Amino acid sequence: MLLAALVLVPFLGSLLAAVMPADARNRESWLAIAVAAGGLLMAGSLYPDVAAGQVLREELAWLPAQGLYFVLRVDGLAWVFTMLVLAIGLLVVVYARYYMSPADPVPRFFAFLLAFMGSMLGVVLSGNLVQLVVFWELTSLTSFLLIGYWHHRADARRGARMAFTVTATGGLCLLAGVLVLGNIVGSYDLDVVLAAGERVRADELYLPALVLIALGALTKSAQFPFHFWLPHAMAAPTPVSSYLHSATMVKAGVFLLVRLWPALAGTPEWTWIIGGAGVCTLMIGAFIAIFQHDLKGLLAYSTISHLGLITTLIGIGTPLAIVAAIFHILNHATFKASLFMAAGIIDHETGTRDMRVLGGLRHALPVTATLAIVASAAMAGVPLLNGFLSKEMFFAETLLVGGDTNWWMSYAALAMGVFGVAYSLRFISIFFGAPSEALPRAPHEPPRWMRSPVELLVLTCLVVGVLPGLSIEPILHVAAVATLGPAMPEYDLAVWHGFNIPLLMSTLALAGGVLLYGLLRRYLQLKERDTVPLVHRLNGAQIYENTMLRLTRGAGWLLKHLGTLRLQPQLLLLMLALLGVPLLLAGAPPAWSDSPRQGFDPLFTAIWVIGGGCAIAAAWVAKYHRLAALALVGGTGVVTAATFLWLSAPDLALTQLMVETVTTVLLLLGLRWLPPRIKAGAGQPAPGRLAWLRRSRDLLVATAGGLAMAALTYAVLVHPASDTIADFFLQNALTGGGGSNVVNVLLVDFRSFDTLGEITVLAIVALTVYALLRRFRPAPESVAIPAQQRHDVDPASAQTPAEQAGSGYLLVAGIYLRLLLPFMGVVAVYFFMRGHNLPGGGFVAGLIFSVAILVQYMLAGTVWVESHLQLRPHRWLGFGLVLACATGLGAWLFGHPFLTTHTAHVDWPLVGELHLPSAFVFDLGVFVVVVGTTMLMLVALAHQSLRAHRLPGDEAARAAPPVSGRRTL
Amino acid sequence: MSALPWMQHLIVVPVLLPLLVGALLIPVAQNRHGFKFAASAVSGVLLWLLSLALLGMADGGHWPDGIGVYLASNWAAPFGIALMVDRLSALMLVLTSTIALAALVFGARRWDRVGVHFHSLFQFLLMGLNGAFLTNDLFNLFVFFEVMLAASYGLVLHGYNLRRIQAGMQYVAVNLVASLLFLIGVSLIYGATGTLNIADLTLRVAALGPQDTYLLRIGASVLALAFLTKGAMWPLGFWLPTTYAAASPPVAAMLVLMTKVGVYALLRVWLAVFGDAAGELEGFGLAALSVGGMATLLFGAVGMLASQDGGRMAGYGAIISSGTLLAVLGHSGSAVLASGLYYLIGSTLAMAAFMLLIELTERIRPPGAALLAITMEAFAIEDKPEDPVGVGIPGTLAFLGLSFVACALVISGMPPLSGFVAKFSLFHALLAMPGRVPPATWLLIALMLLAGLAAIIALMRLGVRTFWASGAVTPPRLQISEVLPVGGLVALCVALTLQAGAVFDYLSRTVDGLARSGSYTERVLGEPPVMRPAGGEVAR
Repeated sequence: MLLAALVLVPFLGSLLAAVMPADARNRESWLAIAVAAGGLLMAGSLYPDVAAGQVLREELAWLPAQGLYFVLRVDGLAWVFTMLVLAIGLLVVVYARYYMSPADPVPRFFAFLLAFMGSMLGVVLSGNLVQLVVFWELTSLTSFLLIGYWHHRADARRGARMAFTVTATGGLCLLAGVLVLGNIVGSYDLDVVLAAGERVRADELYLPALVLIALGALTKSAQFPFHFWLPHAMAAPTPVSSYLHSATMVKAGVFLLVRLWPALAGTPEWTWIIGGAGVCTLMIGAFIAIFQHDLKGLLAYSTISHLGLITTLIGIGTPLAIVAAIFHILNHATFKASLFMAAGIIDHETGTRDMRVLGGLRHALPVTATLAIVASAAMAGVPLLNGFLSKEMFFAETLLVGGDTNWWMSYAALAMGVFGVAYSLRFISIFFGAPSEALPRAPHEPPRWMRSPVELLVLTCLVVGVLPGLSIEPILHVAAVATLGPAMPEYDLAVWHGFNIPLLMSTLALAGGVLLYGLLRRYLQLKERDTVPLVHRLNGAQIYENTMLRLTRGAGWLLKHLGTLRLQPQLLLLMLALLGVPLLLAGAPPAWSDSPRQGFDPLFTAIWVIGGGCAIAAAWVAKYHRLAALALVGGTGVVTAATFLWLSAPDLALTQLMVETVTTVLLLLGLRWLPPRIKAGAGQPAPGRLAWLRRSRDLLVATAGGLAMAALTYAVLVHPASDTIADFFLQNALTGGGGSNVVNVLLVDFRSFDTLGEITVLAIVALTVYALLRRFRPAPESVAIPAQQRHDVDPASAQTPAEQAGSGYLLVAGIYLRLLLPFMGVVAVYFFMRGHNLPGGGFVAGLIFSVAILVQYMLAGTVWVESHLQLRPHRWLGFGLVLACATGLGAWLFGHPFLTTHTAHVDWPLVGELHLPSAFVFDLGVFVVVVGTTMLMLVALAHQSLRAHRLPGDEAARAAPPVSGRRTL
Repeated sequence: MSALPWMQHLIVVPVLLPLLVGALLIPVAQNRHGFKFAASAVSGVLLWLLSLALLGMADGGHWPDGIGVYLASNWAAPFGIALMVDRLSALMLVLTSTIALAALVFGARRWDRVGVHFHSLFQFLLMGLNGAFLTNDLFNLFVFFEVMLAASYGLVLHGYNLRRIQAGMQYVAVNLVASLLFLIGVSLIYGATGTLNIADLTLRVAALGPQDTYLLRIGASVLALAFLTKGAMWPLGFWLPTTYAAASPPVAAMLVLMTKVGVYALLRVWLAVFGDAAGELEGFGLAALSVGGMATLLFGAVGMLASQDGGRMAGYGAIISSGTLLAVLGHSGSAVLASGLYYLIGSTLAMAAFMLLIELTERIRPPGAALLAITMEAFAIEDKPEDPVGVGIPGTLAFLGLSFVACALVISGMPPLSGFVAKFSLFHALLAMPGRVPPATWLLIALMLLAGLAAIIALMRLGVRTFWASGAVTPPRLQISEVLPVGGLVALCVALTLQAGAVFDYLSRTVDGLARSGSYTERVLGEPPVMRPAGGEVAR
């Protein structure tokens, strides 16, 4: 549980920190200190076990099926890193207490910082590679949030986005690499993977795995060519730079490489990829660092360069190089963290980090200056400091692998040493010279506790530098043994190894660095230059921004060509898919056997010719003559009805006829309010070649679609029917369903559940139409009375629609239809009653009744009808649905499933015994819903005319007849 | 059996309850918002409890093989309509009712009154969704699709403005054509096999003659086109981002679920009809599905990168998630099903939360100013150097920000939330298939990673612009009814991550059940109708 606590406690602390008040700077700091110190104690207590070479594991099943266990595992390497993360973390939170302004909202800061600490510990302690990736991305995320802490500043936002994009992309590569690696090994467990080095290196997937994992590690550790994010990450508060971007997070990449060294290293690919990136980075980073003006910028590039050094060592890959790499990771963390903190103090005290302004600070800040100078010396590799030791080892290693073939490596190392000394000199130059006059603030020594972390770190540099054998050796040994195992080399950490080439290189680097710095100051105006010589075109940040911009633009371009926002291409694609996909998937049809043909009937053919003609004509005129098109579509509908009748389906024919009638009338009513067609005139260009091509294409697709559907229908019709469930319905309609009209029994009994759904659809559509048209006002150009009704000869043209219906030419027709209303009602009842046994039923009856109401509206006008007949379509809808549903629920009382039909036998006086099936009541619900639907749509459409006439200048509608003699329907 | 145990009736209640509530609310006056919401919310809560109960019954051994069958109208399958609940449909019901509850509560303050009949339409939408998940009959599936779509037409247009009308027009037109395809497909399948019941289809498919097989192939591919249009496969799903961006937030949250219905229906029909009992038809069309899915994935990623506003981004996010599911299912069928379902749950929850969230974040500040800030950032134009003192984040903004991060992580599949777990388990399942891993699998994995990358880049851009670049922010006023649904959905995503093991256990039981087609057909076709009491007055 100890390991789990190590990882979990920072996260819990983060939660706690997040909910504290914004000004609780002290409480936040104490919390963070407690977390870090507690962690240190816990981790420290593990030392005896770890030093004995044990590997401690804790496991928790997370996704056992996927081989994903939550494994925490500590060995020497992990332990050393844990201590590093916690120790630097402790110092950083102490420092941050004084660094952060009282006005800064610190809960967010400490919450993210602690969350980062937890994530970093998670990376270090993961015993499962996938879990490691999870924590890895979490460090990217927390780093993003911390860089963007001062998010009102554009540079912070920019830096945060850049850092996250680069590291998260690397994280995805790492995930892919881990998947490949896991696939090679057969497990994601670290111990298993580390033990399978031979197999991994021999696998053909080794190279992809290596490249992907390297991409993850190199992006995280800011290696060339991904190094550019790190300088921009300096927009973060300095404690963050010191902790994440020098001491810990950027070390995650090299940590991973060291971690996976047993599994992946030892091949030329490893050396070339890792070593190559490292060498480029160490040169470029060190060189650019010299020319920075920002203190933190210099430190950032110096960090890049030192990370490059570590990467190079890992790339070299000999056991001794790995020892040196681990050693330098520790050394770099101590001196660079202290330098960042010193830079923060200077920034804090003077109000600027610009080295062109800063100068003579040793007078105002004597202690800080001393500390920073010692730390810089460690960075430069001055003897008796820790940086010297690991750099010496680095020189030795480059020499060792260098020899004759890789001599460039030694030269690169030497150059890096020279540059390192130069930028260290540049850094300490701010303490010397005359005190600057241009400082925004007069500097003083910082509070004691703000300086104490720096003091402690610098002291460490000294102790390690002077007494390496006593101080660092045991710790380094633990880490190295855990990584190298049996390959552990003999080495000797001592300040003095006698005169040898590495010592010569160190001396050369020191002398060369001083010389270079002097030359640069004299001849290259180091203090004034705005660009870096030679490599100033290599602006990674700008390349990144350009790439992102191009990515967005390219995506926009692709989107325009791969997709569409318009409806018509979508429908065309749908049609093409309908034509193409089945053909593609089903292939060529097999030989088709026909069932025996019926005789050929000329009359039937003639009906169909008419129907087909109507359909084609409707399509032909659809665009420009809506009215004609609608009428023609109606014609096709009638032919369909006739076909049903011809083929002995009277029920379908009846329904089809009524549906055609009602929909055509409703559509016609709606057509009135569509805007008029735009006349092709002077302003409109004549349709060009392109339009012609487009139309031809559409015609082709439409024809092909029609022919394909026809062929398919024909194929289905002529091929011998298999045994279908239809036979069952025919046999059981009367005996089981109690009706001889199979269609009706299907609707109200066998498949009444479908019917229930369908009437709900009707109700929904009616509600939608109502909701849409409720507040809709017709377009101004369609409000005027149509030209057909405005003929001068016609006396009716002088009347308003209300007058036409009330006293004009529509009066006679209106009165006749008024008289017809009860008769049509009776007809509807008749069709409803006989439904179960003969053509008819609730649906048809509902439509007939609707037509009766419809014609009233059309001839008598909305105002008249509504003043005499109170229609409540909403109630009809609700009542009908509830009635149908309640009928179905009645079956529950008898212990039967929903919608089971029951028949009551009632003895009525005079009439005799009546069978009253529950399906009858269900059908009544259908009837009511159909009537309600039609009425609601009708009302919604009809009220357009009222609103249209209420426009200014037309008073007709206001003079509506007084409401009298209401009947409620 | 002479009477049905009352618990059996629970299967049909998820359809009936919203139908009744929706119907009863139609005549209620428009200004009685409180009453309408109360009725709708009661229905929502009951549905949620009911779906959990059904899940418990399906998983708890209440029915043999975890399959409950309900014969509507008391006619045995395949003649009547059989409803069926198994672990998969129960899971979908729970998902539906959860998101519905969140959307309802979210809409309570404002959105349910920007137009009329919101609650009726919403209840009908639930009826359609639940029906589609429960039915085991192709034509009945069509009916419930229609109920669902008709209600969604109304809801997309709800509170209409020019944008919604334009988007709604596309949505309605495309989906009407898709419904037509559905009908053609169902007719062809009926013409080929003579049955509509899906379980019955399973039995009949292997014994079909060459002509019938051909018709079945054509019918099934037309049907698949209909499903894939709803599931927004490239190039059939261009309507989706426009519609999502235009719809009001609670409706958009429900739309997220509706793309998943297409995938569910496809899965249901394909597993049953072209499963291992299908002989030479086994796995029909899956290769094409995989290719289409990958194209969809790519298209979604491209769209994500190119979008600027949250609504469209969410739309492309939904396309990515559809594409992932289709590609993975097409690629390896039921082998990766458990992971696919886990992905479906997580991404649906996160997308729904994101839909609700976007509207809240848009209240922070008009987008123009933020856009300028972004441009300046990209070109490194520094305005005056600002103080290194942080800006306090008020509680509401912190809530919005954290929810945004959580949604972004799930949608893009970044660690540590359920999106990553889902993606990882998909990868694992793809790689764990026997034999050498083919290049197509690596391609699929790469595409999924790239889509995740595109998503995180786009979402980060949006998040930075919304939360960071908006300058001195005035915290938006949030209602508790708006915080609760978003927070709840996000919390569910987190819970899904922490309880991944338990969820996967359930899912693997689900997949096991789906794989046993024998017991499935036996359960559905063998369910006896309730016998009439002998000599009763009930006559047939």
